[in-house]
Amino acid sequence: MNRSIELTIKPKWDEIENVRNESTDFLISQGISNDSVQAFAMVISELVENSVKYGRFTSNKSKVTVSVNISENMIIAEVINPVDESVYHHLRKLDKTLQWIRGFQDPFQAYIQRIRQISRKPLDDEFSGLGLTTIAYEGQAI
Amino acid sequence: MKPLNGHRFKDGDEYSNIIVQAHNDSFELGCCRVLAERNNGENIGRLIFIDNIYDLESLVYHHKLVKIQDEFLNLPLLLERKEKIHEVFKNFVSNLTYDLNVYKNTFDGLDAEFACESDVVRKVLQQAIIKTEGPAFFNFLDQKMQEQEHIVKGFNRSEHEVHGFYFRTQLWDMIMGAPFMARTNLKPRGYAGDSEMMSMIYSADYRGKTTFFKLLHKHPINQPAAQAVRNRRHAIAKIIREIKGRTREKDASTLKLLSVACGPSKELEDALLTADDCRNLYLALLDQDASALLEAKETICQIEKKLNTKLEVDYLNESVRTLLALPHIEAKWGQFDFIYSMGLFDYLTPPAASMVLGKLYQLLKPGGEMVIGNFHVSNPNRYYMEYWLDWVLYYRTEEDFTNLLKGVSNAETKLFFEDNKVQMFLHVKRKD
Repeated sequence: MNRSIELTIKPKWDEIENVRNESTDFLISQGISNDSVQAFAMVISELVENSVKYGRFTSNKSKVTVSVNISENMIIAEVINPVDESVYHHLRKLDKTLQWIRGFQDPFQAYIQRIRQISRKPLDDEFSGLGLTTIAYEGQAI
Repeated sequence: MKPLNGHRFKDGDEYSNIIVQAHNDSFELGCCRVLAERNNGENIGRLIFIDNIYDLESLVYHHKLVKIQDEFLNLPLLLERKEKIHEVFKNFVSNLTYDLNVYKNTFDGLDAEFACESDVVRKVLQQAIIKTEGPAFFNFLDQKMQEQEHIVKGFNRSEHEVHGFYFRTQLWDMIMGAPFMARTNLKPRGYAGDSEMMSMIYSADYRGKTTFFKLLHKHPINQPAAQAVRNRRHAIAKIIREIKGRTREKDASTLKLLSVACGPSKELEDALLTADDCRNLYLALLDQDASALLEAKETICQIEKKLNTKLEVDYLNESVRTLLALPHIEAKWGQFDFIYSMGLFDYLTPPAASMVLGKLYQLLKPGGEMVIGNFHVSNPNRYYMEYWLDWVLYYRTEEDFTNLLKGVSNAETKLFFEDNKVQMFLHVKRKD
């Protein structure tokens, strides 16, 4: 039985919903429990959203690739987008945020702290980092 | 606040909405009341929020709209968290908190007895109390660790997370008083295991404002996991000296070393003992943390001063994860005779660890060697670290560790442990 799917999408916002629906259908078809499907669909949507937001798409051919792979005790979602040196600072920020989240035994603690930080960040700062903490806390996936 | 255009404020006046214009934006902040003040007959006063409370300083000077009551939004989430806690764990935490407070009050009482003495006298008396009463307190803590391990060892990941959070919330004041525990929990540099924590482990002294907190600071630093950190420093220094010695015998070319996630590089103090050790040597010290690199620079300066010599060193401010995205890294940095990393792989997921290891392997010269450290799954302080210190690592078995190199061909590998058997090392030699 096929336990993986791969989707290739254009880096557009309205594609996120399509990916969410397709991956949800796939996970349901594989007998994954409803709670896990919802959590995982959220994780994939957040990842694709970040990918569209921070990827470096220089031509019409530039794409985002999403793959979902189910093994015995793990589901791996991989979202790949092109990058170059112009978005390198985003990679650094991502790296720092992931380390910060993983620094907590309980991702809930990271989630609570991030909400507090967001309520105290400058109004013109667009980066929230909430998506990643949500992936960790609600998706249990970091 | 001063009224304009002839308006006058009267003490107690209330306004239904205050509108603040700042940063080309307008903010409606709700009801407020006037508290009038007299200053040389001037009509001045303060506006006090009487409903929602905002931090005006943040708004005007930092362009942040901070509503003080927002802190309460998380309360339901925080309060319901305790519903998931097992009764046996609640009892354990309750008894532990009581016992710790009894110990704290007793030690604080002793501190108070000689509070009026001079610093020198106080220090000597405190050392005497630590010497006579400290071991019993440490025994108590050891027993509690065992009890805690017995309760939590069957938990799944999600249970560990929620119980750990509950535990730290209950013991937060205790944890914050012990400098080492406070730092591992607060992670002021955004990650656990920073160079200041390493420095506390290396110095292994008593720190804290009171005798009780000095002991609570010292207890985790006495544990096998911390001893393993001290051991690995000496183990890696020994390897560097061996490699340097071998190269010296073979030829006079420069030995190139790369330390990945170098921290304060204290092991170099143990590895470079003579001016001759520093000759024909190039060091690349890599760390994502600029503060750690400054400390490494300080270590190098001290070695140079002590040995009256100069070292050839490059400081590379880079994270290993972002390193993976850098193309042509080999052309940029060249290849190395020896690469080592002691406290990094414990923080890398298996895919990231495998990719970083592969990348580092590419940076080895043919015949070059690499030593990578990782805590073993058998670490006896795992739950102590996770629950008390909020310090989570990726533990590995021997098989997990060697499997990270699966994508690499032509590598000769072996595993070895430091004296405590808590930390293992993967030794890799590039054969071609």
